[in-house]
Amino acid sequence: MTATVPTVSLQEISKRFGPTLALDAVSLDLLPGEVHVLLGENGAGKSTLVKTLLGTYHPDSGQILIRGREVAHHNPGVARDEGINVVLQDFSLAPTLSVLDNLFLGRQPLRRRLIDTAAMREAAERTRELVGGTFSLNAEVGALPRSEQQLVEIMKAVMGKPGALILDEPTAALSEKEAERLFGIVDRLVHQGWAILYITHRMAEIRRLGTRVTVMRDGRRTGTHLVSAVTDDELVREMIGRDITAVYPHKADPRHLGPTVLRLTDVSSANGKVRDVSLHVRSGEIVGIAGLVGAGKGDVARVLSGLEHTTSGEVEVLEYRTSRPQIRKMLAAGVGFMPEDRKRESLALQLTTADNINLEASSSKAHGRFGFLHRGQLREAAISMIRRLDVRPADPQQEVGLLSGGNQQKVVLGRALTRPRKVFVVAEPTAGVDVGSRQQIYEELRRLCDDGVGVLVVSSDLEEIVGLSDRVYVMHSGAVCAELVGDEISDEAVIAAAFGHGADEPTARVQEAV
Amino acid sequence: MTQLQEPVQQDAVPAPETTAGRGRRYWFLKAFATAGPLPFLLLLLVVGVTLVNPVFLSSSNLSSVATQSVYLLLVSLAQMLILVTGGFDLSVGANVALTSVTSALVMQSVYGGVDEYSGIALIWGLVVALLVGLVVGLVNGIGVAVLKVNAFIVTLASMGIFTGVTMLVSGGSEVSGLPRVFTHEVGSGRVFGVVPVPLLMILPVIFLLYVLLRRMKYGKSLFAIGSNELAARVAGTRVGTNLVMAYVLGGVVTAYAGWLLTARVSSGQPQLGAELAMQSITAAIIGGASLLGGRGSVGGTVLGVLFIVGLTNGMNLMRMDSNQQNIALGLALVLSVLVSRARDRARREVAVMELDQGATPPAAGPVGSLPEQRNPLAPPS
Repeated sequence: MTATVPTVSLQEISKRFGPTLALDAVSLDLLPGEVHVLLGENGAGKSTLVKTLLGTYHPDSGQILIRGREVAHHNPGVARDEGINVVLQDFSLAPTLSVLDNLFLGRQPLRRRLIDTAAMREAAERTRELVGGTFSLNAEVGALPRSEQQLVEIMKAVMGKPGALILDEPTAALSEKEAERLFGIVDRLVHQGWAILYITHRMAEIRRLGTRVTVMRDGRRTGTHLVSAVTDDELVREMIGRDITAVYPHKADPRHLGPTVLRLTDVSSANGKVRDVSLHVRSGEIVGIAGLVGAGKGDVARVLSGLEHTTSGEVEVLEYRTSRPQIRKMLAAGVGFMPEDRKRESLALQLTTADNINLEASSSKAHGRFGFLHRGQLREAAISMIRRLDVRPADPQQEVGLLSGGNQQKVVLGRALTRPRKVFVVAEPTAGVDVGSRQQIYEELRRLCDDGVGVLVVSSDLEEIVGLSDRVYVMHSGAVCAELVGDEISDEAVIAAAFGHGADEPTARVQEAV
Repeated sequence: MTQLQEPVQQDAVPAPETTAGRGRRYWFLKAFATAGPLPFLLLLLVVGVTLVNPVFLSSSNLSSVATQSVYLLLVSLAQMLILVTGGFDLSVGANVALTSVTSALVMQSVYGGVDEYSGIALIWGLVVALLVGLVVGLVNGIGVAVLKVNAFIVTLASMGIFTGVTMLVSGGSEVSGLPRVFTHEVGSGRVFGVVPVPLLMILPVIFLLYVLLRRMKYGKSLFAIGSNELAARVAGTRVGTNLVMAYVLGGVVTAYAGWLLTARVSSGQPQLGAELAMQSITAAIIGGASLLGGRGSVGGTVLGVLFIVGLTNGMNLMRMDSNQQNIALGLALVLSVLVSRARDRARREVAVMELDQGATPPAAGPVGSLPEQRNPLAPPS
């Protein structure tokens, strides 16, 4: 085996989307038999890189070499034929089809022009063994638990000759045991000569699996290292390393904070993702909740909005106390929400900007009588909100589904602002939002605080947590494991706590029972 | 709704099985998940109706049930094919009426009362019918797959269009004067005195559709398109082309039913098949197809049609009037949707049980239907 020839080699790849340079002369080699970890924040260009590898995006400049040969027109078909596959977090499986049918979708072996089921079954059983699956090949994929669906997706990717396999945060939704099984699969694939590109945020996984690690930031490659030759601190610094203060507004003066406006006491959720969480938010401060994917931070927001039921504990908003938060009562008590998934949970995409902004106002009594709405008033209100938040285009009749992510998010914020609030619960406020809009959203949140509102921000974006929050709760495995105030808030401190221990500690995940 | 949900939940959680251990419960769920409730319901229907009126099982009645089933079966199979892709076809009735009128006009003029021309008239009639079906299917298919309009709208529109064309072509009146071979042999002939000719004439179609859906790449691609179009696309399926072909195939099969039905009623009728759209959707859904796409089978559809026709026939024998019958059919449809939900649950439960069974070492337990575990791979070089 010519071990030195990379399975795939990207050379000086650049890709531009409008004004943003998503990839800036990035080079990356995937060698057979290595696990190459790709590290970078959201928006660092990882997914653009992956899509370039898969042939979905065509680079503006640079070369792609597959097994040493330059590919002139890379496309998804070429990637498939060369065994370059991806396992994303959203699986591309057909849920009503059997495992077997999914594995051979579009590439069934034929015998006398009919599908050769026996041959399919034989090949599938071999692959199932490779990944250690125990499901029946006849089982409908949609009937399997998520972790098994992931195995099917992996099986689908490794059916052919060894090539390159891209795993995008594969352990995000897995339990400890399932993750361990996945590591075993990765080991076996590597032995078979697969080149693995492994995207993760978890330091422990880099140590457990990685051969080399490439760090990306702002569309550039900041470095490629042997995992054994680099410390976690160095990686984190490379990953963040930029002046982040400019985007963020000033912080609150701790001496001028008001009374507590939101308090959770020993709250646990029915789905088990939130365990005995106690926290509070005071008037005038922005409190961040940080944690890894699956640590339960998003579930805290869902509990507060009544989307996830509580099993124990108490929630207090000003005078209102309850053990079972319900959305209508929380709204009435003065809580405003910006949900995590704006397209699914907050926006009516076919309606106009004005209608979306007024969605809550029109169900209150302020703008109408006897169920009729005062249209002129509503329109005025919408226009002034559009101006205040600088929604672009500033057209109240624009269909919201056609706005950019950043402007959609401003509309969500605008709606929350149509009623006076005492508390804001904000989840992932800038996911998929450009830097300009980000800044405006941050400023608006800070202005609210200055007016005496308490803001709870749940975010997976480390930089945002550190830049925005006056106080940070870090969650790990459903429980709050650290509280950081003022100067204690730093990237390193948050990461260390999120991993359950120190950032240099490979066994961080073990510390489950806090 | 809430009232209807009760029996389903009983169905999904078979209480008596708990004492018999997991094996029994597993096999019960597995059978329910694999075969669905229809075989059981059909048996229940046969036994129930026969107890009330033994005429049900007489050969003449069974033969007439079979004859009645033929036309609905063909249309339901076409409907199922479209449902599998995630669409549906409201224009099947209009298709049947149009093929009936046009093929009858062609047969009438070729035949012209001269018996020698019977055979050639028959063939021309069939060819024209299939061509009409092809055009109808092409219109629907292009609307859905190329113009990307919702199947409901496309087929609703084409239903209106083709009903109008039918009226224009026929002037609203019947087309009679068809060859005797056609009306007497193709329409209501019997082989060996019992087996209806129309039944024999659809067997090849059933077989071909079965092979297509189960054993051919094209058939599998239709399931994939209906189940997750993106996954199908990523797997290299030509989604648009395959969809158009599905509508064309459905249109042709429906047109064949229209031609056969014309023989049955001995004339080209512009009002033929008005109730077929709803009936065929009902039969296909009861037979396990899903409005969401990705599900459906030839076997299930056959059973679904038998169930509907058998139920109607049984209700006739029990002297229930058409109002009562409509209520019963409506309930059957709602119930079938609820049962299919229970079936989904059973599928999940079975899948998880099989996971656990597979996790034990192969020698440890009687795994039965599960594929055997092979020896671990030799360590890679």
